[in-house]
Amino acid sequence: MNKRAMYLLLPGLLFLAAFMLVPITLTIASTFVQDGKLTLEGYLHFFRDGYFNRILLTTLRVSVVTTLICMLLGYPAAYYISRASARKKGILLALSIFPLLTSPVVRSFSWMIILGKKGLINSFLVNTGMVAKPLDILYTPTAMMIGLVHLFLPLIIITLLGVMENLDHELVRAARSLGASPFAAFRKITFPLTVPGLIIGGILVFVGSLTAYTTPALLGGKERVVSTFLYQNAMTLNDWQAASVIAVIMIVITFVVVGLMNAWANRLNPKG
Amino acid sequence: MKKMMTAGLALALTSMLAACGSNNASTGNTDNNGAASGAPAELVISTWGFSEDFFKESVYAPFEKEHNVKIVVEIGNNAERLNKIRQGSSDVDVVYLSDYYAQQAIDEGLFETIDSSKIPNLENIYDIAKAPLGAEYGPAYTVGRLGIAYNPALVEGDVTAWSDLWSKFDKNLAMPAITATAGPMIVDAASLAAGNADFNEDTAFTKLKELDSNVVKYYSQTSEYVNMFGQEEIAGGPIMEMYFKDLQAAVPDAKFVAPSEGAYAVMNTVNVVKGSDNKELAEAFINWQLSEEVQAASAKAKVDSPVNVNVTLTPEEAVGVTYGADVIGKLRKLDMSFVNEHITEWTDRFNREIGG
Repeated sequence: MNKRAMYLLLPGLLFLAAFMLVPITLTIASTFVQDGKLTLEGYLHFFRDGYFNRILLTTLRVSVVTTLICMLLGYPAAYYISRASARKKGILLALSIFPLLTSPVVRSFSWMIILGKKGLINSFLVNTGMVAKPLDILYTPTAMMIGLVHLFLPLIIITLLGVMENLDHELVRAARSLGASPFAAFRKITFPLTVPGLIIGGILVFVGSLTAYTTPALLGGKERVVSTFLYQNAMTLNDWQAASVIAVIMIVITFVVVGLMNAWANRLNPKG
Repeated sequence: MKKMMTAGLALALTSMLAACGSNNASTGNTDNNGAASGAPAELVISTWGFSEDFFKESVYAPFEKEHNVKIVVEIGNNAERLNKIRQGSSDVDVVYLSDYYAQQAIDEGLFETIDSSKIPNLENIYDIAKAPLGAEYGPAYTVGRLGIAYNPALVEGDVTAWSDLWSKFDKNLAMPAITATAGPMIVDAASLAAGNADFNEDTAFTKLKELDSNVVKYYSQTSEYVNMFGQEEIAGGPIMEMYFKDLQAAVPDAKFVAPSEGAYAVMNTVNVVKGSDNKELAEAFINWQLSEEVQAASAKAKVDSPVNVNVTLTPEEAVGVTYGADVIGKLRKLDMSFVNEHITEWTDRFNREIGG
């Protein structure tokens, strides 16, 4: 690359260094120091604590389930959109991105109206006599997952769509002509070639659910997730040390999950 | 694959930025200090976001005119705004905070002491409001109360006492989060309900634990309560009287009671921030906030309950307003230094033993 052109990178790099790398490094460094001494006490304190482990498990469970549901719902939808005619594709794409364009607060409030005791679902179930008493859906982890799936499904559809549009359908046709059943062609050709999209979409959804704040705060009930716990420590208890430790734990989990998913992608599609 | 990665990264960044954007929206209003030289002095006021129009028109505008000053408002909840002052990253002169947060600021030396001779209206307010956190610091400009609101259609019989929270509600109760202003009051109410004359932390927490299975949500914002009440997700729970009008709008039959053990005084204070360049102007503003004119207007608009003894309200005007010397006299008041000493421990216990 032209050496002078490199200078064009400089403003962006400086910005990232000043407002991202430095603060994150400081945050991470601060968690290892207590009373002027280098220690792991901050972390040990959290991991010895049954209460924190429970919050962490709830968060991981919600994130994993959300990611899996998004993959299951997003894959066929993206496949269908990728095969549609250009005009139809535009409309379908716009529709699927639409949730991203509304604020998380508005979205969560709509879910409250749908899931509540007097909400659409419960009114329907009670009026048709399917249940005697309204179900408890709102203010449970289930409500949280529904909200998160709604929020993050567009991400996985968009990433998958990018991969599927570039898929060479001659390959599928070739497989069929050589005697593969439609399912075998899908399993051996289409699926492996689209795995990268699935993985990247999955990472986006997982990281997003892990760190989401508004949706769990509004739709979740008494059950707590890591991000709302972090908020409580930082904003209402003013315990920035604990908040930093939690933040670092979240960053580490993110990196571990990204690593694992990449490893998985490599196994499914070694040439990806 | 590489292209995909870049696209994915770009998407992730965009969504993160979008998330940041929506968080910061509430703290707007601070950037418009473009006062040119020779322009009127600027008084920065940090307050909650509620009834903004009322404050602009009936409180700020007349004061700006009289003192040739431009008022700049910074908006946020108690914790956010106190944190900003802690970090020293704002130039706030006057700050509105609930007594519980104001006590923290005092303990950390963030407030200027006030000169009560500059605030003559202090003479005209209820004793309880004059110096809730010590005579050197700002007064309570409003005293509200925390009682119980409920929907009679969903509760059998009348609710009359704090102890009724334990007997009359069935999986349809909203309780304040421990970190909310009302959180510590609930700990005290639980201690009362357990039959203690003096505060007992252990029995209070045991009692709260008993209640947990009937609680739908521990709310940290009153708007959550109002929503749940309107949707009949909850039948009721402890709430501040000033929000009762919102409950009535959703459920006309809704009732508010001051429990027989005593409702809790909720005091919002107004103070001068340390390092303010406009101390005298700030004191003049506090005096104006306590004046009969402002106090009567905000009571009639049902924005804040009055502390000025000269304000008189008709029974109709007094609905949803904590009003009258006898009502004020019966309120229970928490010792905010005691609460602040214990709140971290209580929050921890509450998290562990009870729930969100």
